Amino acid sequence: MPNYTLTARTPLDGFSHDFNGVSVTEVNGRSIVSIATSLGGGEALSKALAKTYKLKIPEPGKSTVSSLDNAVLLGMAQDQTFLVFDDHTEDKPVDVVSKHLKDTAYFTDQSDSYVMLRVSGENSRSVLERICPIDLHPSVFPEGSVSRTIMEHLGTVIVHEKANTFLLMSARSSAKSFLEAVEVSALNIG
Amino acid sequence: MIINHPLLGPRDAAEFVYKGDASLINRPNWQADDAAELFHEYLYLRDNPAGQHRELWYHEQGDRSWLIVTRNTLTHEISNVEFARDVALAERPKK
Repeated sequence: MPNYTLTARTPLDGFSHDFNGVSVTEVNGRSIVSIATSLGGGEALSKALAKTYKLKIPEPGKSTVSSLDNAVLLGMAQDQTFLVFDDHTEDKPVDVVSKHLKDTAYFTDQSDSYVMLRVSGENSRSVLERICPIDLHPSVFPEGSVSRTIMEHLGTVIVHEKANTFLLMSARSSAKSFLEAVEVSALNIG
Repeated sequence: MIINHPLLGPRDAAEFVYKGDASLINRPNWQADDAAELFHEYLYLRDNPAGQHRELWYHEQGDRSWLIVTRNTLTHEISNVEFARDVALAERPKK
């Protein structure tokens, strides 16, 4: 056995910066598991989610929040949701979900595939509207809304967590380019 | 161009990939006697209408759904957008 240990690093080394009226912070310590419903298997999954996480399956574009592990269930597409929850140090993400939901759906660990950025503050919408093609006004994208779209050609999941607070998820492999897009936009609004 | 996604509302065409004529979802029977001819037609012989055209679009930078978009090739006006899954299920021969 080689005599060394590896230290895990986060995609952006814990980036956090306050710009004019907007804060951009890397979010860590959260696991992401994709839940894909099998053909006709939605009902079993619904029951298991209601029993353990006390969650309803959200429609695509919506999300639901649980008190268990601070879990948020994001409606990504027809028959697909993402469960985002606090890391368990001892168990792998899929094992945590399988323990609660058994084999009611197909689970895939997505945790290390994404970089997560939280954009918050009174200017957050002004920063995002320059790079996000979808309308983020609360009248059409209210709190709790989820959308998968592109920002600066990079695939991005955007979640409207609460007023003036947005969570962005993009590919970890292009995390620095993604951060630059958000940073430049934040600097551009002055 | 804006495509009005049946579930997600209006989305920019940049999120989608064009995948060809909607008739591509009707794959010929490979066991038919004239399979070679059917596949030749399926692969190479396309209509090129000036006007209404039903076509497949894939929402790659979105919810990964396949859509059938009815578009006027002269004006780019989109008159209908539906899930390819719904169309395929509706056209499936009843057992």
